[in-house]
Amino acid sequence: MSEQNKGGKSQLNKVPFGTRVRPYLIVAPSLIITIGIMVPFVMAIWYSLTNYSFKLPTHKFVGLKNWVDMLTSTDFWNALKVSLMYGVISTAIEMLLGLGVAILLNNLNNKLSRVLRVLLVFPLMVAPVTATIVWQLMLNSSVGIVEKLFNIFGVYNFPWAASPKTALLTVIMIDVWINTAFIILLVLAGLQSLPKSPFESAKIDGGNAWFNFVNLTLPMLKPSLYIALLFRLMAALQEYAVIFALTKGGPGDTLMSLSLTAYQKGFKFQKFGAAIPFILVLWLVINVAAKRIVKLQRNAQKQAAGLED
Amino acid sequence: MKKAVAMLLAGLMVASSLTVTVPAAEEEFDWKKFDGEEITVLFSEHTYADAVEAKLDEFTEKTGIKVNYSSMPEGNYFEKLNVELSSHSGSIDVFMTGAYQSWEYATAGNLEPLENFIDTDLTSPEWKYDDFIPAVINALKWDLVPGHPVGEGSQWALPMGWEVNILTYNKRVLEEKGLPVPETAEQLLEDAKALQEFNGTGSYGLAVRGLPDWGTIHPAYMSLYSTWGAKDFEIEDGKLVSKVNSPEAVAMTEYWVDLVKNGGAPQWATYGWEMCGADLGAGKAAMMWDADRGGYTQNVEGASAEAGNFAFGMVPYPESAGKTADDMRSNLWVWSMAMNADSAKKDAAWYFMQYFTSPEFMLWSGTEAACTDTPRTSVLESEEYKNSVASAEGYYEAFSKVSENASIFFTAQPYFTETTTEWAKTLQKLVTTDEYASVQDAMDELKEVMDEMVSDLEVE
Amino acid sequence: MKTGKQRALNILMNVLLIIYAIFALFPLVWMILISFKSDTEVFTTTFIFHPTLSNYQQVLLRSDYARYIRDSLIVSGGAVLVSIIVGVPAAYALARYNFARKEELAFQILSYKFAPEILVVLPLFMIYQKLGLYDSYIGLIWVYQLISLPLLIWVVRGYFEDISVEIEYAAQVDGYSWYQIFFKMLVPLIKPGLVSSALLAFIFAWNSFTFPLILASSKVYPVTVAITKYLGTDSAHYGQLAVAATVSAIPAMVFALCIQKHLVRGLSFGAVKG
Repeated sequence: MSEQNKGGKSQLNKVPFGTRVRPYLIVAPSLIITIGIMVPFVMAIWYSLTNYSFKLPTHKFVGLKNWVDMLTSTDFWNALKVSLMYGVISTAIEMLLGLGVAILLNNLNNKLSRVLRVLLVFPLMVAPVTATIVWQLMLNSSVGIVEKLFNIFGVYNFPWAASPKTALLTVIMIDVWINTAFIILLVLAGLQSLPKSPFESAKIDGGNAWFNFVNLTLPMLKPSLYIALLFRLMAALQEYAVIFALTKGGPGDTLMSLSLTAYQKGFKFQKFGAAIPFILVLWLVINVAAKRIVKLQRNAQKQAAGLED
Repeated sequence: MKKAVAMLLAGLMVASSLTVTVPAAEEEFDWKKFDGEEITVLFSEHTYADAVEAKLDEFTEKTGIKVNYSSMPEGNYFEKLNVELSSHSGSIDVFMTGAYQSWEYATAGNLEPLENFIDTDLTSPEWKYDDFIPAVINALKWDLVPGHPVGEGSQWALPMGWEVNILTYNKRVLEEKGLPVPETAEQLLEDAKALQEFNGTGSYGLAVRGLPDWGTIHPAYMSLYSTWGAKDFEIEDGKLVSKVNSPEAVAMTEYWVDLVKNGGAPQWATYGWEMCGADLGAGKAAMMWDADRGGYTQNVEGASAEAGNFAFGMVPYPESAGKTADDMRSNLWVWSMAMNADSAKKDAAWYFMQYFTSPEFMLWSGTEAACTDTPRTSVLESEEYKNSVASAEGYYEAFSKVSENASIFFTAQPYFTETTTEWAKTLQKLVTTDEYASVQDAMDELKEVMDEMVSDLEVE
Repeated sequence: MKTGKQRALNILMNVLLIIYAIFALFPLVWMILISFKSDTEVFTTTFIFHPTLSNYQQVLLRSDYARYIRDSLIVSGGAVLVSIIVGVPAAYALARYNFARKEELAFQILSYKFAPEILVVLPLFMIYQKLGLYDSYIGLIWVYQLISLPLLIWVVRGYFEDISVEIEYAAQVDGYSWYQIFFKMLVPLIKPGLVSSALLAFIFAWNSFTFPLILASSKVYPVTVAITKYLGTDSAHYGQLAVAATVSAIPAMVFALCIQKHLVRGLSFGAVKG
């Protein structure tokens, strides 16, 4: 086990072949396991160029017809807007809320915070579809508990998901309820693993809490924050379960996101070829966003490492 | 001696008629012909499916056919089924479908025509095709030409149970408020408006579905739409043409929007059958217009807070449009079972299908397994059946009366899911937004969209 | 003066935390309450009702619920296990070594999370049928790697990167073998990231719906697919649904409780970071 190459400080071309391929060998199992997915992915791209439908016995190449149809339909632009609004707003709220709660849990080292560290993760554990049904019951205007609470404040028959004006707000609220726990857990783990020494020297320097947060905690936490943001945003842009369980995309087209539109076209209307472009656009959007976030994450990681050393 | 034999025979006959098994003729029918075969069945979660599941062991015992049974909740059943069927792998032999869906599956070549089995020696003489209620069995026949009415062509599926869409009302509430049981659409609207907030905030007059899918169109809305004299499509110059902007259709939809806005649930646009039934059962909705089963089950003791207070009305007809009780139309829904055309074990699959649609099984399921919407005349006319539904006031009368005019009032065509989804979305926009200047505008626009959807269909 | 300010801040922080906790936990409390309500009381009562165990009896004793839970445990647990075994070394390599196309490789692994499951599920269905993976544990464990592996690798990688190379060198110089270094020195340091991402991966695999719906059938039947069964067919049994949802959350809750103390970075021998 000679490990001279560890840390990547030496030049690649000077090390022996065996050492050079080692990292690839270690990563290989992960890649092999996931690479199988490339086959269906390529198949799906091919289907987007055909009239593939469950209703037809065979399918034939139709060129860019599905793509042109999509780009010229109002459905698509509405769906893109809904996906972006849902994804960006819910992720933003969850990041801020999750960071805040994680800091509170970390700083308040009392009994309450120790109990809540476990309890606050629980919303994630209820399957999203079921969680949404529970919320639906709570928000119902005839039998819901929230309605009764609102009545105390003089608000009656708040429409929640039933009105185009409040539907997006409602699904985002449920999404925030479910997924803030995801941010809390990752950020808390990040906070817990921050090294103690920089803070100790800061204490000696007499820095105040806010100064410490902005100049020490935040930069060192940034890599974890970006990871949390990355995975949350990717999932939120694809979100399907909450909307489907609550309104099936309604009222009208209010909540017809890209995922929902694709699902409806593909599995309900059985026009698989026409559904795929909607998802590929989503794939592209997420790809671009992820590239950007990953770049920020890599930089933050380097900076954080510098701070700690 | 002769007397003793006669008595013995009589005793045997009584015994056999009591146990309702193995009548004489069946000795000639070979139930064990496909002994040892194995079939796969995919059903949607339903009372009808539960009844089948309960008797699977008896089926296997009688035929020697092993059944791999699985069921999915209705919310995702069709997606799962669509994928399985589209693979053409024969992974499923028998599955559940509705009549509307069978139009799509039959057009795609997924369904085995059942006349290949019905009149052959693979069918027990006890099975009796003619015993099915004509409206129900005909709803599952179609000649595959879009726009042609059901009732002609191949038999694509067999009924397991069916539902008519009628009014269920809380008689306690109507009595307390001094409101008449609505027989006309006008009365229904008046009652529904008068009942807003009858039991505190959020309570309302009439529960109907409002989600953006076919489930919103096919029960109450389509029943009244047809009663009003409106059609969804007509054939013109060899093309299917949407008629949703006809004067009758617009008048009916104007009425409907008014009804939902002023007499329906505040969160109507998120309502499926579950919440409709739940509000009715909790006494938060005074009436419901949906499948008869929905109201029926809320009325069973212990099923809901208001159980026992429900009674059944019929289809409210629009007097202002010159309609009478004779014009009542109830759109019907048939849960049925069909055979996968790609099945490799069609004979064994047919044995399964005939066993679980036989008069004998259906008498049991109709009276003892809560499948009250029996598709068999012999069951409907039996005393056992009448007794079993007697506790639901007006149910038997409504069910048998409305059945006379019940049918599928949708035009058979393979884009049913798409056109009805669009239709439901238009209703949602009419109720929840000010997007349209008038119902006429909305229906004109809907017509265009629907025409476009079916434009590639060859009618002749 | 200063202590008064600090005390006020302390109270404020507690209050804020409690407000969030109410928002986060009330729906769960509500769900549990519903699970004890009979069908007649679900909609007509709030906090005062006649608690009943009938929903629990229906779900736990009169259905195959235990089997659904078992299937979920096998596929979700199996998926996380596989992810840890192949993912942690991969994360290490992606953190420690400098090699050509490293970032592209890492991004490639991440990219499996870019598309909704519905994009690949239909082609996968056909492939699985040909390979005989349809309706099998291995089939689901494999496809769940799309859910669990990218998350695990990317989170754990960050923790490896936080550990300075020098302490590894030092340990080598001291004559420790690579597995001693890995298990006794590195693993304690990456523990918060490893357990939190493993928990999240488990939860996401457990909650996965589209994959088991389409790629499994009668032989493998995870609880997420089964759960809406309990909503019923003619009238909605929300009480039973609440039972099914509550019980199905228990394994992940137990998991969370078990890993709680590991969320804090462990002490590793001979070294402190930085």
